[in-house]
Amino acid sequence: MSRTPAQPGADARDDQALLLAVTDGDREALRALYERHAPWLLFRLARRCADPNLVEETVQDTFVAVWRKPAAYRGRGEVAAWIWGIAIRRLVDRLRWGARRRISLARVGRSQPVLSAEEQVLLGVEHGDLAGALNRLSPELRAVLQATVLDGLTTREAARLLGIPQGTVKTRLMRAREQLRETLA
Amino acid sequence: MSWHADPALMETYSLGVLDEAHASSIEAHLLRCEPCRTSIARHVGRARLDGLWEAIDERVEPVRTGFVERLLARSGVPDHVARVLAATPSLRLSWFAAVAVALAFATGAARGGRFGLLLFLLVAPLIPLAGVAVAYGPGVDPTYEVGLAAPMRSYRLLMIRALAVLTASTALIGMAATALPHLDWTAAAWLLPALGLSTANLALSSYWSPPRVTVSVVAAWATAVVLSERLSSTPFAAFRAVPQLVFGVIAAASLLVLMRRREAFDARRRI
Repeated sequence: MSRTPAQPGADARDDQALLLAVTDGDREALRALYERHAPWLLFRLARRCADPNLVEETVQDTFVAVWRKPAAYRGRGEVAAWIWGIAIRRLVDRLRWGARRRISLARVGRSQPVLSAEEQVLLGVEHGDLAGALNRLSPELRAVLQATVLDGLTTREAARLLGIPQGTVKTRLMRAREQLRETLA
Repeated sequence: MSWHADPALMETYSLGVLDEAHASSIEAHLLRCEPCRTSIARHVGRARLDGLWEAIDERVEPVRTGFVERLLARSGVPDHVARVLAATPSLRLSWFAAVAVALAFATGAARGGRFGLLLFLLVAPLIPLAGVAVAYGPGVDPTYEVGLAAPMRSYRLLMIRALAVLTASTALIGMAATALPHLDWTAAAWLLPALGLSTANLALSSYWSPPRVTVSVVAAWATAVVLSERLSSTPFAAFRAVPQLVFGVIAAASLLVLMRRREAFDARRRI
């Protein structure tokens, strides 16, 4: 299936312009943003949550949130990264209310345009086998690393997402860093 | 961006079977690359996207709001409370119009002499009473069934509406009272009876069926006013100091009963 001009939501404006239009209550602009960002959101969320219904509800929540508070975007950075920030937190919220954690472990992603100290350490290792090191981490450690460092959640949010105590998140994060350091040294 | 994700890699990713390190680099790339976001969109079915959009579209549908609701929302009342209030039958413009007409006649009659004024004082307290009586309940409230299923307790809903109706109708009567022939104590003599009757009506409604209670209270009030006027030598005997005090006590007692009987209102939720 390829995009044609007749497709719903096709729009020449860029993301920031669309977001500005949403501020004025332009539903077509929301549709255009949805068409651009819903697909990758679905995939990225699906790697973090095994329940497809929950993933779709989260995508709904995300665009409803974009519609209600488009002004929360500060006008800097990728709109996609901003949307992801909303989506991952909505997922955390949904999981908090859900009966049992339906999280699939060990998904590593990277989202924050602003690099954290940890991320710089990770990215600084250009010649080491970073991919191999990440893949060799145990699923529990990788999941924690992903949620905090790469998805940009706080340890508290990560704890909710993964259904483990906050203290466990911190200790696992430390162990993950140690293991990476050893492997890449 | 000079580099784009490999289509095969993208497909593996969309199936959820790509290893973590590669997946994370694809995810990072997608945040910054519009063409790759477009290309991964091919792996989502049109039907799924459309269905999901319909759900979103429904949730962002702008709701039609009426005059009263907009006014309330603008004066700082939270959206959901404004909606609940705007759906109150006795807070509609048509209700206010009816009240205004009734008050116009009553004040007109009051200018005609002592019995006219008595008529005004008799009718005025019945306006908030009637307003509160039709503010909530099966048959009169268009959102009654919705309210039964709502997470807000019936009691709270009833109190919010009763308060709003009391405030609104008191203001209307107060305005009408300024058109009375003599701006002496009689211009405010309806206030405590209005309060006492409305709260008593609510309190008694927690014991017996609301329509029956309302009819009884109205009948009792009218009888008391007419009888006291015929039997007593002082004019407006039902509105002098002692009766006023009695109405104050009735209002206070009724409020106490209302607070203690809150379960009775919530129990009516059984359909």
